[in-house]
Amino acid sequence: MHVKNAMNRFMSKLLDLKSALYYRIKRAAVPLISVIVLGFVLTAYLANIPVSEATDELYRTLDGIFYLFCGLLPVAVAAGVFLGIVAYKRRKIYLMRFNKSRLNKRVYPFDVVLAILMGLFCLLCIYPIWYVVVGSFNQGADYTSGGVFFYPRVFTFENYKIVLAKQELWHSYMVTIGRTLLGTFLSLIFTAAVGYAMSRPNLKFKRAFYWINIFTMFFGGGLIPYFLIIRSIGLYGTFWVYIIPGLYSVYNMIVLQSGFKSISPEIHDAAVVDGAGEFRIWWQIYMPLSKPVLATIVLWVAVGHWNNYFDTMIYASEKNLWSLQYYLLQTINSATGKEGASEIQQNLNPMTISLAAIIVSIIPVFFFFPLIRKNFASGIMVGSLKG
Amino acid sequence: MEEIVVTAEENIRSAERNKKEKKKFKPWSSNDWVLFCMASLSVVFLAVFAYAPLYGLVLAFKDGDGALNIAQAITDAPWCGLDNFVYFFTEPEMANIMFNTLGLNILQLLINFPCPIIFAVLTAELLSDRFKKFVQTVTFFPHFISWAVFGGIFLILFNIDKGLPAALYNMGLISEKFDILGDPNWFWWLIIGTSLLKGMGWGSVIYVAAIAAIPQELYEAAKMDGANRWHKIAYITVPSIAPTITLFFILSVSGLLNNGIEHILVFQNTLNLDRSEVLDTYIYTYGLTSTNNRLPRYSYATAIGLIKSFVSLFLLVLGNAVCKKISGKGIY
Repeated sequence: MHVKNAMNRFMSKLLDLKSALYYRIKRAAVPLISVIVLGFVLTAYLANIPVSEATDELYRTLDGIFYLFCGLLPVAVAAGVFLGIVAYKRRKIYLMRFNKSRLNKRVYPFDVVLAILMGLFCLLCIYPIWYVVVGSFNQGADYTSGGVFFYPRVFTFENYKIVLAKQELWHSYMVTIGRTLLGTFLSLIFTAAVGYAMSRPNLKFKRAFYWINIFTMFFGGGLIPYFLIIRSIGLYGTFWVYIIPGLYSVYNMIVLQSGFKSISPEIHDAAVVDGAGEFRIWWQIYMPLSKPVLATIVLWVAVGHWNNYFDTMIYASEKNLWSLQYYLLQTINSATGKEGASEIQQNLNPMTISLAAIIVSIIPVFFFFPLIRKNFASGIMVGSLKG
Repeated sequence: MEEIVVTAEENIRSAERNKKEKKKFKPWSSNDWVLFCMASLSVVFLAVFAYAPLYGLVLAFKDGDGALNIAQAITDAPWCGLDNFVYFFTEPEMANIMFNTLGLNILQLLINFPCPIIFAVLTAELLSDRFKKFVQTVTFFPHFISWAVFGGIFLILFNIDKGLPAALYNMGLISEKFDILGDPNWFWWLIIGTSLLKGMGWGSVIYVAAIAAIPQELYEAAKMDGANRWHKIAYITVPSIAPTITLFFILSVSGLLNNGIEHILVFQNTLNLDRSEVLDTYIYTYGLTSTNNRLPRYSYATAIGLIKSFVSLFLLVLGNAVCKKISGKGIY
């Protein structure tokens, strides 16, 4: 009797729209359930395919973990179903309480078709990445027979072991990280300084500055004269060739300028009354106030630095200056080329190794992507400003 | 009557003189100097990296091909008038290269330009906000991967011996292995397809922002008046983002001779050179690389670059004029 009462009270509390209990349980349960389901799928898969260089002991451990998940799975499924029912009931109560009929959101066949098409396009966008993940975990010798598209056929960590031991990869990694951090930071300060000056109405010779900047957007010398300059000022073949030519961009300056212009002039007046000079106003007031715009520029510049391989190709072809992307391109090219085919020996396949290298190289992007995503709303606003 | 005019003119002139003198003798405050210095940073930078290369353009009128030191070529090489340009127009390969450059770009203008717009309009139509966010997140992701990697993935995926063609062949679905990477006829579609996959989500950002800025009242009012979904798209969404579309269309047209060189170089190989050699890659290959029997041809490549710059400028002006005539709005 007591138990039944307690159950009823628990249910009514769960269904109470004001109570936080449901959300607390949901926050705890959903990750747990997904871990169990994922773990089940993964171990079920691993226990049933060959794993390279696996001993019986490893298989036995895998089987053990698999049985453990087998036990946990019904619990997880039951919990999931229960949560689903509760969520459905809460939605019903919510709709009744606020008198909202679901007819407001009628679903037409068009919506369904559109959602399916969008889902398919998403799959298409993400599949190349998945293909790389699959290949990087597949044993090299087995990979040569082809046909590995959806899951690793012979599972192995070997490729990663080889890749992570490569000195060149880490060196190029460092070069790319260095140029991205330093280049983005310096470029931001340099461009913002100019952008601030150009946003002030009291700048002397403003029109001249404006036209000097704008002209370069419409007409340029082209690749060869640019290369010539890089050579004759001694940047060729040094690390600084990554940093200095990228210090300033007219386009980014205009975006920053419009960001600074949108700050109300009263703030500037107040700072002047308080005795601040222009430099101080820029650095201590305007820069912190325009963080969203700065974040957008940082995103653009940093992505440009991280992804660039052409700079390395023409200005810094010595091996100790290779950027990560250029290193990867070289690895892939030699793996897919004719000479790569003969290299296969002792289970080493340059193809799977370069796939593992690709994964290692995009891990930071995965890491920063949610951050980028968050800053996105502000970035969009800036984009529409200049449009 | 005349006298009055004369005196008035004199008055104006003297006033102007006074103004000028005042301007001349007003000393700059320290704040003026600070701002001036900050803005001058750009002039210093551009002088080196944008205006100094313009001086390098004289190389186009000199015979500096194969020079051992490119910096000396600019001063020491003999003048040769318009020889480099003449050579460009008489080179038999050139017709093919121009065909590739223009064909690929026009195809991209027809496919890759409207697709992000359609994509943005369609994502706005999705019912579930959560799914909308998911779609955006997933489709943005490839933008953050470099062409070296994204293209490299396709080099492996379409590899004729071990990739998709071989798998389909082994399954018996196709009777003959298709060589996407080596067959020149596939090349343009390879470029179009990969740039759609990588760039469509990101390219739609600007239009998504423009659509988000449309006031919701417009849609509600239209609904009251009995507009269906198609009416809303055709009479509210599209006209509202038309200025953005115009701007990016002008920019795209002015880039008609530019191809993404990082993109093309990944997929270019000796087999598909027939369709993959465009102006940008040609300038790069002939200007900056050397083979056993050919030294870098600096002057020739500079001349091609110069032609390209002028055509781009011309196209920008032209595109702007056309857009002004049609929609009443240009970029300047």
